[in-house]
Amino acid sequence: MSAEEGRPKVGVAGEDSEVLTRFLREVRSGVEAGVDPVTAAGEAVGSLPAVVREAVETILRRLRGDYSEDEWGFDEDFAEAVFPLFRFLYDVWWRVDVEGVRNVPAHGRGLMVANHAGSLFPFDASMMTMAVMREHPLPRWPRFMVLDWAFVLPFLSAFMRRVGGVPASPHNATALLERDELVMVFPEGVKGTGKPFSERYRLQRFGRGGFVEVALRTRSPIIPVAVVGSEEIYPKVADAPGLARAVGAPFFPITPTFPLLGPLGLVPLPSKWRIEFCDPIDLSEHPPEAADDRGLVFDISEQVRETIQAKIYENLVARGGAFL
Amino acid sequence: MAPEEGRRIAITGVSGHWGSEIARRLARDPRVSYVVGIDTHAPPGDVGEVDFIEADLRGALISRLLPSTEVDTVVHCGILWYPEPGKPARSLHDFNVIGTLQLLAACERTPTLERVVVRGSAAIYGCEGAAPLFFPEELAGEMPLRTRFQRDVSELESYFENFARRHPEISSCMLRFQPEIGADLDTPLVRYLSLPVVPTQLGYDPRLQLLDADDATGALEAAVWGDIRGPVNIAPSGALSLSRILRIGGRPSLPIPHPLFGPALERLGSRLGAGPVVGDAVRLLRYGRGVDNGRMRRELGFQPKLSAVEAARELMTRLDARRIGPPLHPGIALARLAGSGR
Repeated sequence: MSAEEGRPKVGVAGEDSEVLTRFLREVRSGVEAGVDPVTAAGEAVGSLPAVVREAVETILRRLRGDYSEDEWGFDEDFAEAVFPLFRFLYDVWWRVDVEGVRNVPAHGRGLMVANHAGSLFPFDASMMTMAVMREHPLPRWPRFMVLDWAFVLPFLSAFMRRVGGVPASPHNATALLERDELVMVFPEGVKGTGKPFSERYRLQRFGRGGFVEVALRTRSPIIPVAVVGSEEIYPKVADAPGLARAVGAPFFPITPTFPLLGPLGLVPLPSKWRIEFCDPIDLSEHPPEAADDRGLVFDISEQVRETIQAKIYENLVARGGAFL
Repeated sequence: MAPEEGRRIAITGVSGHWGSEIARRLARDPRVSYVVGIDTHAPPGDVGEVDFIEADLRGALISRLLPSTEVDTVVHCGILWYPEPGKPARSLHDFNVIGTLQLLAACERTPTLERVVVRGSAAIYGCEGAAPLFFPEELAGEMPLRTRFQRDVSELESYFENFARRHPEISSCMLRFQPEIGADLDTPLVRYLSLPVVPTQLGYDPRLQLLDADDATGALEAAVWGDIRGPVNIAPSGALSLSRILRIGGRPSLPIPHPLFGPALERLGSRLGAGPVVGDAVRLLRYGRGVDNGRMRRELGFQPKLSAVEAARELMTRLDARRIGPPLHPGIALARLAGSGR
């Protein structure tokens, strides 16, 4: 049976269809005995080969509403289900090289601060998640702060929340850090994602340093992260503010392929990526009240910004060509 | 408060579900010597030993009636999310805002008063996609208020704040309730969740915190006996998405593009017996809302019996038990495939 090969196909021919028939027969006898269909199917999975059984059990568990969605809306099963797609992007499409992943704390709170690029979907956040999940000795799911606007859109909002996205707000960041989560923020915000191609890798202003306030208040270490490659995936050559206003978006990017090629233009370009996690900045020497000290907040914010900018230049040199 | 005598309590909106529930509980309580209910019409069922005064809160009469009852506690349950018998949708604004205003004016003239508890709503936080996922109390008014009910709640809260500031000798508290559910509740939200096929808004999956009806009454009772001041969120712990609630209940969903959701439910809903789900509820079922219940648990000292997930499970189990007709389970497709031939 194909289970040994690790790639089962249900209902193809021969043996497979026999397995399926047996499974369905058991479901039917269960239903006829008065059990409800989902429970009956749950009991019948015993007749299936191991790999299929696991998949069917997961689906049935979800159908019963019995799954691990946490109170923030993060759904680990779902995140695992879309993992292969991101793994493809990570391994094949963008060939991500990662350095310093051990700087990410294995447990306890931590605030990762990175440069932001690449239009609507936070691909940089998902690649950083992949890096932590795959390269870290103790993988964990980080949560990422997403532009508010994305949480108003249908589909995208539900999707983002299930894979660990949270609307960008200091309250959300604080609450997550207090629960000892790993949180990603992009202080450049829209100014980062919406900047033209000619300004790539030039860090924008870091807002008002709100992330530093949050880190000081919750006494979380800051881990600066430099992401190289994300700024070439959607080279924005022009903006269409009229269209942006029409759809309620903060900006409407015009790239060499979008909207020229329609939805096909949404396929990100296969640039080469490098992600470097820098040494954590320990803020535990400051009391939580230091968050009100504007001077200190700006100093730390500037220090983080300079670290990231320097690392971006280093990694740009190390990477060489943008696409090969 | 008056130690030998026991508490003297006035309850407004006593004919509604929440008013009559709390009246029934307080009338049985040995620490209470007198309960008076105020509403426009008599409570439909038996609420125990409760004096009833037929009065409309919107009128000035209440300012003369309330002082004469010599109560030390006022529980205001007259703020309505949904229309009720005798209180149609178009007059809800008057009942909610003017009623509260008149009641607070009457409270100012009642020298015996020591405690005011208002049964308000978490609608003051609005329903926004990009809102904080768990609102703490101090974030009221941070988000735009888009529906009539949200604006009403915000308006009456400002009257309440004013009252509390002017009368520091009266301990006043504003309870901000998340939407309540319970198999015995007859609200549009519960009727919506009991539809055999539940329409949802295409592409949206709101995060909800639905409060079990028993916990809702328990929290109100705790607030009557407590001494907490200012706004308190009343919500279960945790939150879950609408899609998960429907899966727990084994309900298939019918996604409808969101601009059509309201109108569709108005037509379809009333035909299927759910009644229209309008205004606030439409936005709630698009974006959801979560509040932080830390103040309730720590300062009010009330622990809800059921978490958000347990409350949803409880509701769905009890709704299932009394459902008529065949279950339209997602697994029915599987059974069909298996040839059970239904």
